[in-house]
Amino acid sequence: MRYRSGDFWSGLALAALGGYIVSAARGWEYLGQDGPGPGFFPLWYGIAMLALSLVLIFSKKENQKIEWQGAGRAFAAWAAFAVSVAVLKLVGFLISFAVLTFFIVAVMYRRPPAVAALVAIGVAAGFWLVFPLALGVALP
Amino acid sequence: MAPKIAFLIALSLAGSAFAQGFKPTRPVEVVVHTGPGGGSDVLARAVAAMIEKESLLPVRMQVVNKAGGGSAVAAAYLAEKAGDQNTIGFFTGVWLTTPLTSNAAKVTLKDLTPISRLVLEPALIAVKADAPYRTLGDFIAAAKRNPGQLKQSGGSVTSRDNVVRQLLQKASGARWVFISFPGGGERIAALLGGHVDMMVIEPEEAGQHIRAGNLRVLAQVNETRLRGFPDVPTLREAGFDVAVVPQVRGVVAPPGIPAANVAYWEDVFRRLTRTASWKKYLEDNQFEDGYQGSAELAKFYDEFTGTMRGILQEAGIKVVR
Amino acid sequence: MEIFAGLMQGFALALQPANLLWCLVGVALGTVVGILPGLGPPATIAMLLPLTFLMNPASAMIMLAGIYYGAKYGGSTTSILLNVPGESASVVTCLDGYQMAKKGRAGAALGIAAIASFIAGTVGVLGLMLIAPPLARLALAFSAPEYFGLMALGLAMVVLLAGRSLVKALLSMLVGLWLAGIGTDLFSSESRFTFGRMELLSGIDFVVVAIGVFAIGEVLANLEEPAAPQTLPIPKGWRNLLPTLQDLRDCRFAFANGSIVGFLIGVLPGAGSTIASFISYGVEKAVSRRREEFGTGVIEGVAAPEGANNSETGGALVPLLTLGIPGSGTTAILLAALVLWGFKPGPLFISDNPSLFWSLVASMYIGNVMLLVLNLPLVPLFAQVLRAPAYVLFPIILGVSMVGVYSTSSSLFDVGLLAGFGLLGYLMRKLDYPNAPLILGLVLGGAMERALRQSLMMSDGSLTILFARPISAVMLSLALLILLIPVVSRVNAWRRRLLS
Repeated sequence: MRYRSGDFWSGLALAALGGYIVSAARGWEYLGQDGPGPGFFPLWYGIAMLALSLVLIFSKKENQKIEWQGAGRAFAAWAAFAVSVAVLKLVGFLISFAVLTFFIVAVMYRRPPAVAALVAIGVAAGFWLVFPLALGVALP
Repeated sequence: MAPKIAFLIALSLAGSAFAQGFKPTRPVEVVVHTGPGGGSDVLARAVAAMIEKESLLPVRMQVVNKAGGGSAVAAAYLAEKAGDQNTIGFFTGVWLTTPLTSNAAKVTLKDLTPISRLVLEPALIAVKADAPYRTLGDFIAAAKRNPGQLKQSGGSVTSRDNVVRQLLQKASGARWVFISFPGGGERIAALLGGHVDMMVIEPEEAGQHIRAGNLRVLAQVNETRLRGFPDVPTLREAGFDVAVVPQVRGVVAPPGIPAANVAYWEDVFRRLTRTASWKKYLEDNQFEDGYQGSAELAKFYDEFTGTMRGILQEAGIKVVR
Repeated sequence: MEIFAGLMQGFALALQPANLLWCLVGVALGTVVGILPGLGPPATIAMLLPLTFLMNPASAMIMLAGIYYGAKYGGSTTSILLNVPGESASVVTCLDGYQMAKKGRAGAALGIAAIASFIAGTVGVLGLMLIAPPLARLALAFSAPEYFGLMALGLAMVVLLAGRSLVKALLSMLVGLWLAGIGTDLFSSESRFTFGRMELLSGIDFVVVAIGVFAIGEVLANLEEPAAPQTLPIPKGWRNLLPTLQDLRDCRFAFANGSIVGFLIGVLPGAGSTIASFISYGVEKAVSRRREEFGTGVIEGVAAPEGANNSETGGALVPLLTLGIPGSGTTAILLAALVLWGFKPGPLFISDNPSLFWSLVASMYIGNVMLLVLNLPLVPLFAQVLRAPAYVLFPIILGVSMVGVYSTSSSLFDVGLLAGFGLLGYLMRKLDYPNAPLILGLVLGGAMERALRQSLMMSDGSLTILFARPISAVMLSLALLILLIPVVSRVNAWRRRLLS
């Protein structure tokens, strides 16, 4: 059992999910009047998930070292993306997307702010031209 | 003299505008609960085309798809637009039944403003052409002899297909299995392939198969005989005096709109049902005219949901509202 | 021969300048629609319906059908270049297609996709023309137990897609099954795993998961390093801009596989092009000599699924035109269109309307040729997209993903889900969980559960129905055999160790 390995933690998370599925499935009908009920399938794949994740946790396989170095940047980028999605309702697509682009270019790729602004505006304008104007597709 | 006349004209115009009450000035949003190409969507587009052709509205109609959770998302969307005079929605039976069984679908038709009921969709009870049943009575008798052996294909358990089954089972004491298939195509395929014994099918879907000799119709689910099927007995005529729970379609609007607005919509759709293109549409699709105005629709809603609750509970389906 | 006469009549109609124009419009529009993730043929066709009232039905049908199969051609473009599936069926193309692009062979991948699509599309039309009625009757023999067998076979393919860790692949698949189960149960109207949220009542849209896990996950993974300005190597030289003769030779079986599997699965109402492309991919991997390389950029891994999703369109038209039964979302709208124009699709449709049927068939041949001619020269052009610097390309991918998802459902909730799945995709990549089984589980899970419960309802509770019927028995046996492969190979390895 390797305590810090990725397999261990993901196995644990999946075991938790499997456990949750099984407990939810118990709340539904397993075998109904006409056939299997809504609880039938989830129970079985929940059990399978639980079993396999336990196998994963206890397996002695040599797993590769996971490179966590760059992960911080990826998480930051994801956070930026999530924020831009969250504010879609407030400011609409074009603004939130332009800001996201600016963030990616300036922060992630360390390009000078002028370039970042240019790219952000250019790409957002491109989207506005292509989607609503040319194709009639609504932007979020 | 001229200024006086002009003033009178202006006054009368203003007066008539006042009497008119409401008139849309921007494109009307029509909310449907299916994605593009789904039943409601196609109906909405057809209606929009007809209304434009007959010049019943001074503006365009714009179909807005709010699919999800049966009717839940569309109904919630309309509820959010309270007071908006420029939005309407097309409802179907799903809008009436989804809130009964689903906790998350909080908006009922009563929470919105009913405008009018437009269409009743009849149905037929069909079996394969080489089946040994010649009448509905034959099928039910066979089901009685072999409880739980015969099978019917249909939509979800809250659909009209199952409602008809529940009513017939209760009235006759017979019992047969209901198998849900999500798509109309699959249901017909199951029947044609001999995997199920019977199906409640719409006249449009069945028509061609009957002509080709693949299907036989045992009875029709309607109060009176349809023009296209003069030789097929209705449920009552076939000996089963059960309620004909109809499949309906109609128009609904957001809550909190003024009476003049409601009257305007009612008027538009009432005039629509009198046009020749509407009549042709009904005939092509084998629908029945089920026009009801706003007040009658509200009453219908209460009756319908009351009946449905009883039926669902007897069928063992959890009713939450 | 009656077929020949009909076809000649059809070509006479289809080759009229007006109809040729509509065909071109349809396939061009279809290609564009296919390229854009999210926006698909059903929505486009629905939007164009009012326009079609002004046209004569034959021309309208030609155009709409053009959109249908044109979209399948376009769907591969973003899958290969950006790892963004343009259409649900293009997900499988991402697996090897994008890997090929990473190796600098984007052009070859795009080219083989176009060629495979052409061959398979033509085979599909041939099938529609020659064997439609008997095939339709055969399709009717397929019902829930057979579908279950088919889905089980599809899921067994997980074993073939496993890669290094079978346990992780299975776990990935199980998560997919769980995601598929979220929503309202069809048979009992019970809500499962919806956490009280109304938006989850009809389940999670496949497109959201696919784009999130594939595209966004990939972008996040790439953002780890600030260094590389270029995302993917630009294909240089003819070898990489277009498929080589060697490539074409390698794909011989893939072309046949894609065409036949896609067409047959398309004929079954309810089975879709996604299943067709997965199974075709699995079959290709099973018979290939270099099966371990699948997933790293093997050209047959692009040719087979791309072919399958094209011949599937021909197959899906079989039940529509011979029985009036729509087999998929797009054919359902085509059915609605036919009804709106006043036709009555059903068993007598072809005999009632021979000129419409034959002009459609003829135009499909023409359309396939048009698409090949349109797409092949554009391949080097598309490959140049990769020239764009990463910091422009990635935001574009993110933006296109958001717009694409929003266009399918107009739901901001779905866009939120997209972000969530993007994170999941990234974590899966880091922790070495294969993402193809997740998609497979998601696609097949719902259908498989339904098929199983329907089968048990048909048989009054006994499982023997699955083995009593010949077709499903065969498929389940195949599935079991496939599942035994890793067991057998492990036993063999163990025996070898014992003996040495």
